[in-house]
Amino acid sequence: MPAHRTDLIERYLHAVKFWLPKAQQEDIIAELAEDLRSQVEDREAALGHELNEDELVAVLQKRGDPLEVASGYLPDQRLINPALLPVYKLVLKIVLLWVYVPLFAFIFLGPAFTSARPAAVLLVCCSEYWRAAFATVGMVTIVFALLDRYQLSHGRADDWNPRKLPRVPGAQDTGARWKHLAGSIFGIAAAACWVYLLWHRTEFSFPDGPRFVLAPVWGEIFWPITGLTLAGALIDLLSSLRPRWTRVRSYVRVGIDICGLGLAALLLKAGNLVDIAAGTLSVADRAKATTWIHVTSEWTLIILAVAVIGDGIQETRRLLRGKPAEPAAISTAA
Amino acid sequence: MHTNAASSEIFDNLRLELRRGCLVVAVLAELDMEHYGYALRKALDDHGLAIEENTLYPLLRRLESQGLLASQWREEEKRNKRFYRLSPLGEKVLPDLLEEWRQMNAALARILGERGLAGSPVLPSQRKEEE
Repeated sequence: MPAHRTDLIERYLHAVKFWLPKAQQEDIIAELAEDLRSQVEDREAALGHELNEDELVAVLQKRGDPLEVASGYLPDQRLINPALLPVYKLVLKIVLLWVYVPLFAFIFLGPAFTSARPAAVLLVCCSEYWRAAFATVGMVTIVFALLDRYQLSHGRADDWNPRKLPRVPGAQDTGARWKHLAGSIFGIAAAACWVYLLWHRTEFSFPDGPRFVLAPVWGEIFWPITGLTLAGALIDLLSSLRPRWTRVRSYVRVGIDICGLGLAALLLKAGNLVDIAAGTLSVADRAKATTWIHVTSEWTLIILAVAVIGDGIQETRRLLRGKPAEPAAISTAA
Repeated sequence: MHTNAASSEIFDNLRLELRRGCLVVAVLAELDMEHYGYALRKALDDHGLAIEENTLYPLLRRLESQGLLASQWREEEKRNKRFYRLSPLGEKVLPDLLEEWRQMNAALARILGERGLAGSPVLPSQRKEEE
């Protein structure tokens, strides 16, 4: 047998062997070698001469790339169960889009607007976002791969109940979703502004202008207001993702309204919310400005309290009306 | 150009799916007699069913791992060859599989016959256009 033939075939077999499962390597390679030998002999008989190097190369090329040949013997492998793929995508979408984007906006929006180098802040924001996103994708993938490996999803196919399927969303649901989503974004932005403006701040001062000294009550209500604003944003986010969870939303909204009313009462009870300290203003002007601020803030708080009471009444009525109407399709079927 | 390439790819994929099941039936049927891989491929080829080596050998191993085939290494013409044949389970399954195949074939023949497609690959609508 010519040396070039042995060399090429052995190199080919060795390349295929590399990709094969260890337990089957020898067996598969022996069969493949025998098949190649038979094919070469048949070809030589047809041509009437021994195959030269080019002809042998053509035979091996026709047989296919070693990796491709070996892959035919490998078991079907997958990282994630195709049945779990839609859930996997949904989890990534929720985390990367609906959690990380508002969170990063909350953290970086304030500094971006006030920094002397907003581009640098945005660059840090982007790089941190991608870092977090890559880590999250990796972790979520590992969790789903483990779910598939240990077959934790088994049994689901038999357990499902058509009655538990979500209602087909109508135009009204789509509108409500957008409304809640807008509310959520607004809530997060409001919380970001609130934290940025009042974080450890006791006064607002302007160069060559008056200083507005905040009353101590602002320090007391800083965290409660931050918490309530974020709670409102989160319940709006939940409502946009799960529009059918109206009762959960109503309960939380009523709770937020009661707390909001308590805070408004606390602020009204505190009286003067801001004092003006300014050397440039006359005593009379200072008194006038202080009174104006006091009256304006009291009226603002009263209007806010009325709005909160109105919202609370609306949500309570929703709760008292009972469960939301059943979907039309189920009613008809019944 | 793009459409031709796309339709060719779609046809290739459909052809592959169509052939996949047929090849299993053909291989099992052919292996009621003992064959080694290369001889089996030639036998199938002689019957007009060409099959690539990269398809045949993994298929033989899959059928063997499912218990439908049995194999053994044996020397023939001074060379070691792996011979395959139907296992007892394969002998039991093959008639059922062939019956299923006949039923499907008969149903398909009826469908094609009703539409005048049994003997011709040209659709009736295309035939009218040609006329």
